[in-house]
Amino acid sequence: QEVDMQGQADAIRTVFSDPTNFNVKHPLYSPWTLWFDSPATKGRNMPQTPISAFPQTPMPQTPGVNAAAQGWMEDIKRVISFDSVEEFWGLYNNIIPPSALPQKANYYLFKEGIIPAWEDDANKNGGKWSIQLPKDKNRAHVDRMWLYTMLAAIGETFDPTHTSTESTTAQSLITGVIVSTRPQFYRLSIWTRYAPSGDEDAALKDRIESVGRHFKMSVLGYQDNARLAGPLATEVEFLSHKDSEKKGKAAKKIIV
Amino acid sequence: TDAKKSNIPAPQSALATARIISDISTVQYPEGVSSPRPDLNKDAKEGKFRYDRDFLLQFMLICKEKPASLPPLDAIGLEPIDPSSLSM
Repeated sequence: QEVDMQGQADAIRTVFSDPTNFNVKHPLYSPWTLWFDSPATKGRNMPQTPISAFPQTPMPQTPGVNAAAQGWMEDIKRVISFDSVEEFWGLYNNIIPPSALPQKANYYLFKEGIIPAWEDDANKNGGKWSIQLPKDKNRAHVDRMWLYTMLAAIGETFDPTHTSTESTTAQSLITGVIVSTRPQFYRLSIWTRYAPSGDEDAALKDRIESVGRHFKMSVLGYQDNARLAGPLATEVEFLSHKDSEKKGKAAKKIIV
Repeated sequence: TDAKKSNIPAPQSALATARIISDISTVQYPEGVSSPRPDLNKDAKEGKFRYDRDFLLQFMLICKEKPASLPPLDAIGLEPIDPSSLSM
């Protein structure tokens, strides 16, 4: 039968109007890379048979990334990069969710070009929002929480001020998000490019806090005033990477 | 599985050949599908869009094809997927 090829080529067909022959896709604000590690990926090279051959994780290109970070990065496996909504869901629907991960595993979803290490230039002056959730109470929720965390990251809704003005706020605060499984708890983290260093950073502190509130309420689904700390559980709290390094000393946490 | 793959009429090629939407405000969605929240993309530059969660969730049950560039998961120490684990 005759088909109007030209007419078809011109019309915009999203995946909603034609799941198999769509001709446009939804670009993400930034391309993203998913990384993974677990005890099974550490300290040994992956099998390199013809069937399972997989390129080694490339060395970070960021200058200044030190040898310790490079050694650590050998244990972490780059899964895939993607830059559209459609590709994100193709990935999501074909990998196991956090509740099915082994213990001591991590998914790291970071903007392409930023390695999930403190030492990366994009992370070294930053910090992280995180929450620790007891495993038995949250096994049924962690997959949804991680999905919503990823959606807020790739949709760029964690930091609504970043596109509203030019110059200093034009760059998103978010560099990546992480889910970690441990024997007794899960941890979700959101890494930021900057961290307030003191009271003089009031504007940045406000901006960081709005990311934390969005995480707590819209993503995790808690009330604004809910107190969450308890056995194996923490509040939604922010800590700069520099303070995280000073173990033992009183770290300046922000809690929302 | 391979059998399942061969029954799907080349969705990978649609993903590979689809163009990037350049102006999100001109896209018409079928009835029942919501557009991204307009306030997120008021001053959007070409191809730099932000999307709310409700908009993104609409793709979940449609975009299921395994990405062509996904490596064999067992080769990177990741368990292959158990389809029953996908329920939220």
